[in-house]
Amino acid sequence: MNSGSDSDSFDEGGLTTRGRKSKRKSGARASEKGKQKAKDQGYSWEATYARSWDTVQEDEAGSLTGAVAELLARGRRRRLLAPAAAIRRSIIRHLVLLLDLSTSMTDRDMRPTRFDLTLEYAREFVTEWFDQNPLGQIGIVGMRGGIGERICEMSGNPQDVLHAISERHKLEPVGEPSLQNAIEMARSSMSHLPTHSSREILIIFGSLTTVDPGNINETLSSCIKDRIRISLVALAAEMKICRELCDKTGGAFGVAMNEGHFKDLLFELIPPPAAQQNTGTGAGGGAAKMSADLMMMGFPQRLPDTAPAALCVCHAQMRAAGFLCPRCGARLCDAPTDCDVCGLMIVSSPHLARSYHHLFPVKPYSAVMSSQDATGSSANCHACALPFKTTPATNIGEGMSPFDRYRCQDCKNDFCTECDVFVHDVLHCCPGCET
Amino acid sequence: MDGSSHLSLIIDLSPSQWHLSAQSSNPHPLSFQTFLSHVLTFVNSHIASKHENTLAVFGALPGKSSMLYSSLDADSGNGNDPPADANSYRPFKVVNSVVTNNTQKELDLIGGLTEEPPVALVGALTKALCFINRLAHPPSGSLVDEAAASADPRILILSVSPDLAASYIPVMNSIFSAQKLKVTIDVCKVFGEETVFLQQAAHLTGGSYIYLERRDAFLQYLIMSFLPPPSLRHIIAVPRQDKVDFRAACFCHKNIVDIGFVCSVCLSIFCSPVAVCSTCRTKFPMKTLQRLNASRPAIPPANGVSNGSPRPPSARPSTGMSASLR
Repeated sequence: MNSGSDSDSFDEGGLTTRGRKSKRKSGARASEKGKQKAKDQGYSWEATYARSWDTVQEDEAGSLTGAVAELLARGRRRRLLAPAAAIRRSIIRHLVLLLDLSTSMTDRDMRPTRFDLTLEYAREFVTEWFDQNPLGQIGIVGMRGGIGERICEMSGNPQDVLHAISERHKLEPVGEPSLQNAIEMARSSMSHLPTHSSREILIIFGSLTTVDPGNINETLSSCIKDRIRISLVALAAEMKICRELCDKTGGAFGVAMNEGHFKDLLFELIPPPAAQQNTGTGAGGGAAKMSADLMMMGFPQRLPDTAPAALCVCHAQMRAAGFLCPRCGARLCDAPTDCDVCGLMIVSSPHLARSYHHLFPVKPYSAVMSSQDATGSSANCHACALPFKTTPATNIGEGMSPFDRYRCQDCKNDFCTECDVFVHDVLHCCPGCET
Repeated sequence: MDGSSHLSLIIDLSPSQWHLSAQSSNPHPLSFQTFLSHVLTFVNSHIASKHENTLAVFGALPGKSSMLYSSLDADSGNGNDPPADANSYRPFKVVNSVVTNNTQKELDLIGGLTEEPPVALVGALTKALCFINRLAHPPSGSLVDEAAASADPRILILSVSPDLAASYIPVMNSIFSAQKLKVTIDVCKVFGEETVFLQQAAHLTGGSYIYLERRDAFLQYLIMSFLPPPSLRHIIAVPRQDKVDFRAACFCHKNIVDIGFVCSVCLSIFCSPVAVCSTCRTKFPMKTLQRLNASRPAIPPANGVSNGSPRPPSARPSTGMSASLR
């Protein structure tokens, strides 16, 4: 289990042409990798003293609306790129989060350190993930000292997961990471899952080496066999084995360039992924088509706060409020969960409803470009009654309407920019169509 | 009480339900005129309790929803300003006349329909949420002051119509976005049977749901329970309801189920194992059917009341439950 002669080291051969991240060897490494990235974002180790106020441009009137509008435009374009056809998504998700806790995480190229930033983003990620995937479960495994360390068992309760990564001093980075050990541990904790639930591994990886007891390619092929989707966010540089892990299992791979990009990469993995179809091609064929299945679920009775207190089966604490398992009558603190006594999946109907918006999304609105289109309809936003502009704006981003009007294709009502974003990102139902 | 508070009021304007409510065969008949005058008094007391308080009134009409009043646009002078009256406080006068006029206008627009479509409660609810979102993120250059942006917002729904089964998903989506915006949804059921959707809305957003028993005391209910803004409710206790049923009803027979069978693709709920999902036409493997049939609980859930909504009214089974626990 240590870095002996049998360990696979990817220190030299595993790296691609982009080379390793280094503060000692300064100098830009322009490469094919860099071209794929957005031009305006720099690698954080290449940046000098960043003056964030310089990047935001004021317009003639001295306001910052232009910069904000550009951000909104980017969001709109991304939404329009999303496929319009109905796709099957995995709603019942199981995710193991692998955190790199090796010494390379103490590097300070991301402020305050990679380790602190990772913990902070991991907490936000877990909160947001459970918000969007209420029926999912998360487990956490750490990689340090050459072994995989189970930090949190698979759990559907956000509080349990957050509690596990809340104490920084228990997670101090030490030693070398081992991808193989950690992936094997994650794989074994998901081996019992039924075929209709998705199995995912998300790795946050800060080092450029892995200390493995055996051949990691065997681990990779068993992950493909088990239909585990591996996604990886690298904080240092691209490693061939890391990309291979993601490509062959159908996951996403990204190298974080700076703090903001790190968060973007992480949060892109929150919406439920499309369930993969049996393509038969080499890449992505690893995660074969998920089978559909019927699941037995219990809808619990919620006890009022005035109910007599009793011991709960999950924490063995006296509590008044709680839920009763409909099959065995055990008292549970929280739903959704698996009953600790009989193993029945306990959900309440709002949890099922929370997932419905992934299944029935709102169609994107189209931007109103010409003035005769704009004059023909209502003068106020259909949702918030904000009066529309009458004169077209001049400097606008691509895909933005000069009149700030966005029209629903179904109900032909116009909405303002703010409502367009709100309806698609938060509300998930069109105020015009629901009447 | 430091900050100001925003109230979005949603009035259910279903002509047929109001007609039923005004009939003298009811124990406490409440006509729409009386209702409206009580509501206007309540609205006036909301405005009076703090100068910075903001208000928006939405109407849910059959097949459409519209904004009846908003304190953001009211000052712009849109033609229907009431004549100055030395004996009344001007803001009250403005609210009263704008709300009454717009309600009258909308009700006239309905005209003589032979069949009344269900009221667009969801439309009014989503509009109210969009409006609160607009208050929370004021567009640059507008005249919204800081006080309005920092208001602690709430929505009060005065409902007379029954639940609409088709609007379950949009209602739930609205509830979740209200949670995200930290909006409290209060519900007052003025007439008709209990609505489970709105009970869940009030419960999930921390608001209170009140079923009006003495409808001649409507104004008192409004003032005592719905006037304190959420920031004051840890001091002024308002009635809440404790019994909320989160059990689901199956898609096949509308039975309330304790243990259901859920399709992993579209999350449809069935009361017994089926071979093919009726919603998304997914075929389930034979093996699971056999396994589930073998492990089914011996006594099937017995309390199946067949009616139209996917979450049928459930006050009775849950009262029975909590009563037996006490």
